[in-house]
Amino acid sequence: MTEARDRLAAAQAELLRALLADGPIPSGFDEKRIVAERRALLAKRRGVVAMLGPEVAGDLGDRFRPLFDEYAVAHPRAAGSRMREDAAAFAQWARDRGELTPLQPQRKHWWRRTR
Amino acid sequence: MVAEEGTELLPKLGVGIGWRSEIDLTVERLPGVDFVEVVAENIHIGHLPESVALLRERGVPILPHAVSLSLGGAEEVDAQRVRHLAEVAEALDAPLVSDHVCFVRAGGLDSGHLMPVPRTRDALAVLVANVKAAQQDLPVPLALENVAALLEWPDGELTEGQFLAELVSQTDCYLLVDVANLYANARNLGTDPDRFLDEIPLERLAYVHVAGGVEHGELYHDTHAHAVRQEVLDLLDELCSRVAPPGVLLERDDNYPSDTEIATELAAIRAVVEKHQ
Repeated sequence: MTEARDRLAAAQAELLRALLADGPIPSGFDEKRIVAERRALLAKRRGVVAMLGPEVAGDLGDRFRPLFDEYAVAHPRAAGSRMREDAAAFAQWARDRGELTPLQPQRKHWWRRTR
Repeated sequence: MVAEEGTELLPKLGVGIGWRSEIDLTVERLPGVDFVEVVAENIHIGHLPESVALLRERGVPILPHAVSLSLGGAEEVDAQRVRHLAEVAEALDAPLVSDHVCFVRAGGLDSGHLMPVPRTRDALAVLVANVKAAQQDLPVPLALENVAALLEWPDGELTEGQFLAELVSQTDCYLLVDVANLYANARNLGTDPDRFLDEIPLERLAYVHVAGGVEHGELYHDTHAHAVRQEVLDLLDELCSRVAPPGVLLERDDNYPSDTEIATELAAIRAVVEKHQ
């Protein structure tokens, strides 16, 4: 069983690297399908991040998609991470590159003090 | 719901819909919703959404559907994720729970999706061990669902139907057959749906999923965000001609249509089921 797990672990890791981190296409897979799956996974992740951070996607407008796609391949999601963390990390990444206005310290309005 | 391992009688569920917070009111007021499913990972014990609590008060069965156990993954099952699913099942007094025949994580990465497993003896052995480990910590039977795939692993040793049949015979799990996923695999991978239905143990069918999708180029994408296709209903029809499924559930996860459209899809599903009764 340990050997079966090890072989499977290597094969699954190789496939996910190919799909998520632009790794080499594992032998035996149809290249066109790997490309299609890459796109599908990226679109799903982009959609969730846009849903969780609509203001970031809105601020970036047309730049959201190319920027997110660049970020995503360079930062594949770590196992156990949450989508909210992904959305926050992308926003920070975009801010660090000067693509988004830096966060302003929140001003305290009188009507918020009671919250 | 009695006793001996693998012989539990599953309840008759009827026609249902996946409960999502975006359509909570729709689900509450739609006529003819016999049961619902909730995504287990979205449920926080002790903070049940009001709408879920209301359905529970009405006596509508609520089935936790998990998406993150990664039972087909090479790693040992994450006990914490199984525990959460068990707690959700208990909180909802659910008759059974489900997840998928897939892997989600590998090599430290999370795909964010239900990835197909290679249909090899190796992968089957690992899946069986993981499923047995999960079953030990679950208070109710576990049903496992066939996924939709865009790509095929090389060197498969079993058909998808044979793979699922082996899984059932070695773990006594139930099957959740998604006819939209079966349609997707027929379109994208050339799976033979008739052979699939011939090969799986239909007596272990817990319930059926139906969903919509869309074509992009030569591929069919199982989006859960588009209308259910007639071809998918035809597959449900084919399945119902072989066995009376205990339940059939519509999944809609995005791009929500009007209540009327959802009701029409549910009615179409019910018509197929009732045609065979």
